Amino acid sequence: MTKHQYSRRFFLRSSVAFTALAALPAGVKAFYVDVENVVLPPKQTLPLKIKVNKREYEVLADSRTTLLDLLRENLGLTGSKKGCDHGQCGACTVHINGERVLSCLTLAAMVPGQEVTTIEGLAEGNELHPMQQAFIECDGFQCGYCTPGQIMAAVACVKEGRTGSVEEIKEFMSGNLCRCGAYNGIVQSIQKVAAQ
Amino acid sequence: MKIIDTCGAPPPADGRVEAREKVTGSGKYAAEYPVEEVCYGVFAVSTLAAGKLKSVKVEKAKEAEGVIEILTHLNKPVVSGFSDETKIRESRLGLAVFHTDRIFFKGQPIALVVARTLEEATYAASLVEGEYEAGPFELDFDKARRKATLASTGREKGSPEAWSQAAATVEAEYTIAAEIHNPMEMHATIAHWVAADRLKLYDKNQGVNNVQRTVGRVFEIPAENIEVFSEFVGGGFGSGLRVWSNTLAAAMAAKMVKRPVKLMLTRPQMFMLTGYRPASWQKVKLGADREGRFLGGWHQAMNGTSTYEDFNEWITGVTRLIYHIPNLKTEGALVPLNLSTPTWMRGPGDCTGDFAIESAIDELSYVLNMDPVALRLKNTAIDKHPNNGLPWSTNYMNECIETGARMIGWEKRPSKPLQLLEGDWATGYGMAVGAWNAGRGYASAGIVMQKDGSVSVRTAMTDIGTGTGTGMRNIAHEVTGIPKNRITIELGHSSLPAAPSQGGSTGLSSVSGAVVAVSNDLKTRLAEYAAGINPAFQGLKADEVQLTDKGIALKTNPGAVVSYHQIWEKNDLKSLELEASSGPGEERQKFAFCSTSAHFAKLRVNRRTGRVKVEKYVCVADGGKIINAQAAANQMSGAVTGGIGMALMEEMLIDARVGGLIANDLAGYHFAVNADTPVIEVAFINKPDVNINPSGAKGLGEVGIIGVAAAITNAIYNATGKRLRDLPVTPDKIIA
Amino acid sequence: MRPFAFQKMNNAAEALKDKKAEAQFIAGGTNLVDLMKKHIAQPEALLDVSSALPKDIAVSGRGLLIGVMARNTDLTLNKDILARYPLVARAVLAGASPQIRNMASVGGNLLQRTRCPYFYDVSTPCNKRKPNSGCGALHGAERMSAIVGYNAQCVTVHPSDLCVALAALDAEVKIMTREKKEKSISFRDFHKLPEATPWKDNTLPENALITHVYIPENPFHQHFAYLKLRDRTSYAFALVSVAAALHLENGKITAARLASGGVAHKPWRWYEAEEFLKGKAPSAEVFAGAAERVVKGIKPLAGNAFKVPMLKGAVETALENCITQESYKQ
Repeated sequence: MTKHQYSRRFFLRSSVAFTALAALPAGVKAFYVDVENVVLPPKQTLPLKIKVNKREYEVLADSRTTLLDLLRENLGLTGSKKGCDHGQCGACTVHINGERVLSCLTLAAMVPGQEVTTIEGLAEGNELHPMQQAFIECDGFQCGYCTPGQIMAAVACVKEGRTGSVEEIKEFMSGNLCRCGAYNGIVQSIQKVAAQ
Repeated sequence: MKIIDTCGAPPPADGRVEAREKVTGSGKYAAEYPVEEVCYGVFAVSTLAAGKLKSVKVEKAKEAEGVIEILTHLNKPVVSGFSDETKIRESRLGLAVFHTDRIFFKGQPIALVVARTLEEATYAASLVEGEYEAGPFELDFDKARRKATLASTGREKGSPEAWSQAAATVEAEYTIAAEIHNPMEMHATIAHWVAADRLKLYDKNQGVNNVQRTVGRVFEIPAENIEVFSEFVGGGFGSGLRVWSNTLAAAMAAKMVKRPVKLMLTRPQMFMLTGYRPASWQKVKLGADREGRFLGGWHQAMNGTSTYEDFNEWITGVTRLIYHIPNLKTEGALVPLNLSTPTWMRGPGDCTGDFAIESAIDELSYVLNMDPVALRLKNTAIDKHPNNGLPWSTNYMNECIETGARMIGWEKRPSKPLQLLEGDWATGYGMAVGAWNAGRGYASAGIVMQKDGSVSVRTAMTDIGTGTGTGMRNIAHEVTGIPKNRITIELGHSSLPAAPSQGGSTGLSSVSGAVVAVSNDLKTRLAEYAAGINPAFQGLKADEVQLTDKGIALKTNPGAVVSYHQIWEKNDLKSLELEASSGPGEERQKFAFCSTSAHFAKLRVNRRTGRVKVEKYVCVADGGKIINAQAAANQMSGAVTGGIGMALMEEMLIDARVGGLIANDLAGYHFAVNADTPVIEVAFINKPDVNINPSGAKGLGEVGIIGVAAAITNAIYNATGKRLRDLPVTPDKIIA
Repeated sequence: MRPFAFQKMNNAAEALKDKKAEAQFIAGGTNLVDLMKKHIAQPEALLDVSSALPKDIAVSGRGLLIGVMARNTDLTLNKDILARYPLVARAVLAGASPQIRNMASVGGNLLQRTRCPYFYDVSTPCNKRKPNSGCGALHGAERMSAIVGYNAQCVTVHPSDLCVALAALDAEVKIMTREKKEKSISFRDFHKLPEATPWKDNTLPENALITHVYIPENPFHQHFAYLKLRDRTSYAFALVSVAAALHLENGKITAARLASGGVAHKPWRWYEAEEFLKGKAPSAEVFAGAAERVVKGIKPLAGNAFKVPMLKGAVETALENCITQESYKQ
């Protein structure tokens, strides 16, 4: 039985899951790619000069490495968080050239020549950024895992001038999920900084 | 009554003890500890729902660059606690990862690829294929529940049919889709064997001692040989209360490759490998007389579980907690499905049962043409626990309801649906209540004081975002008088004084007693030392002295101070270390304990597009004494946010034909974003429960979510006249 | 991700010259990197065209020429767009998140793949991902699927919001072929229906690059609305969306545009309803009549019949919002 016939059969009779399943051949991944026939390409390593928090890093990076993994696994900058790795949560938010972006969907190879700022680069020495201070005062977090991303997004939100109302703040902060639901304090922090 | 209304209050500047680490990104979560020589593990998972794993094709993956080892059930290092079926059962872990060839669900780990880098491991894992012997499976909860048999879940009171004889009756069925905890931090472990029988685990969980004990049991090594670090935990909501495959597999792999292994689950893996709130079905029958007094009830409930383990949510428990129902029958059943085992998720059982009961009561209020607030006030069991008859230590349910009604402007609620119309928008008000048996575990806390008067207060308990550490600091400050800025907190590490897991709203309630005890011990001990220098301190009790940043003082004469410096010099001390424990005792035989909440929602529903906009939300709770008002309010509004998700959008999507979940990521599984909630208003009764523990604090984590879903759907009914009994209420259900 | 070579391109000609069949262009990366992580896209090489192609937004002749590398955010801030083509900005703001809009290019938005969960899950069949493997969504989780233009091969929908506005405004897609020929494809012909080749989303020729999107001058800067209905308030794909634009003279509708997302494999225009609106004075009855014409004859799938009444409500609401300009009030 060819794969094509198999999948037709599976889905034409899909209401009878049990019967259909009995017909399932081993290796459902045939739906995707024939693993046995995969040609394994060699890993590509790229020399990159990347500027993070005003510091220049020279790294040899796998072409597959995202900015997020570069920061967390190679540069020891674990402040940027991995919450989904697919651009669905905002925990990895950093600034590139002063604008908020998702580091999990940014290939490290595309970063040279640009300025990356992470949560670690927001404070001036011991002096917290006003947004960091506001998050402390307004309790804009609980577990703290989405917090660096929230703060980086919040700083950008103020800079973008999207703070005209609670509704506007909420809309422009909706790319940063918080499962603890600390949205009250996040909004309050942004209002506070926007008013300064 | 003293109500803390947290809205509009000026924020205190000091914040949480760990605030700086959290806002600067310097706090280390499990996968973030720097460990030399660490390599990376990535799971390959089953693509079938049931059957037998004949073999795992790893050849191609092994050829991929960077791969160090591929762990499967065929080559794993045998873990002694999983060495035979009996031991696996005794392990009480359900899934003996890599120690079985049976497939119980799609998404079950079949291999762990270990490679030098994360990129290499991730790619190689995509090249692993299982060869299966397919077996029959069941994923349709609605179909399968029809075969399940209900059994009693508690003592039957009076006649179960009494409800049907009442003047006003309601009989309705309710369902809730399975929900996923999805804490923002994905479960992760770094396992590092520092010796053949000594293991370090940097692990995401809600209880380091539980991890220590469980891993020790499975690997058959002494628990104290396992050091667990969980100093920062990126949320849990219950998902961190068990030890899951990521912890065990990382430990196995690290043993095999003789290097530390880091394993972080992917977001799709989080949907099947760390538990979930199971799908449920309920039927409620309720009857009341014309004055609204409940005469009889019958609550039936079923929840999904796995095929390899029973997980009972005890959904009907809440029906025996909030109201007096003189004739009552409750029943439950489990429905095995080819999914992984569910686990406790915020407000487990009660949250589910409460939706049905609080919806049914709302339905009854319309039958009776009676205000739902009045109907509840008539029936709340505020004198004693309706099930075990013990008097409540404290029960402020009625105060919660009355305060909430005031705050939302309940008098503006129309008594009938479809009264507040503006174009396609209909406005409605809804309310519901929640309750949770307030528990407490046996916990220890320590204090270490230095010569300069600074102290470290410590416990093994984790702080998953609830503010446990801050609460501990506040209690230590209040009891001793030591300034807050001289108190540091250490927690989330297995070598610290033992404590139960953070869960079931018992965290602060458990550890606070120990902190009070050890704080008092510190005062007494220092008074003893001080007496050797100034006899005025002879024989003083803890409450007769006060600690300052400099030394110990008499309460009656604050000028009489013996400095820490003097005490240290005289007694040649390096540091002063004390530990104390506290746990439940006789009070449990005398009293019943509960936390309560009242939820009020005002929302708008667009009858043409199905959109629901929650405009105002009020949650009033009794959690005993509030140790940290800001963090407590945050926890409550966060729980409400979770409840809004439960009511309106959260749903595990299953395709029975493909044998498992689909859309299992954060784009496919919606929970509330910032724009889904209004600024949530929270208030507390804030009266200490003097019997539960020395601090007077009851837990809050659960009652914040218990009641939300019904408050929302009751408000939707009040707005539109549509009674929606199946969660989540997505826009399609509104316009249907 | 499968290992791949990475090269930064300096201009379109170079990019086209170097492009092999197994290579893919990358710009913002918000879609492609995601697909590569899922092992759905497995290019042997990535050609970074983010600084090789135009990104300016400029008035050109009687319309507006948008460089393909303009970021989605740029469309929400550009003065000419806000003044003369505000529907475009409104649609962009309804999509994704500020972070993603900062990264995503206009070209990438046009070329983004479907968000169908079966397409994204390599353990399920999907004709779009693996030709002839079947359509997982059909008879499966059809809730998000199409209600028009689908076939048994593929029932998915196009996920873009921007493209719905561009379809409504009769935009054109300017492309350059490997032979350096410049061509223009009308927006209505750019995206395609699944037909017998569901793995192809659009009619962009192999080895060609989009250089610009052109929006011809139009009178729809006063009465417009973009309404997106979804399972949560923000950061979610559409159940259905409606771009509506009207031009009124002397109290009568002289021109109307109606398009939808979340309903078909491509952004969908409702021509019959547009015709119906012409010459009529705006009123609830007229809008209801237009909505009737939109949903007339639609045969939804078993699992998404709700989309028909929802679409009807969305069309009525969007048209009303065109008049009241309450486009945020959904």
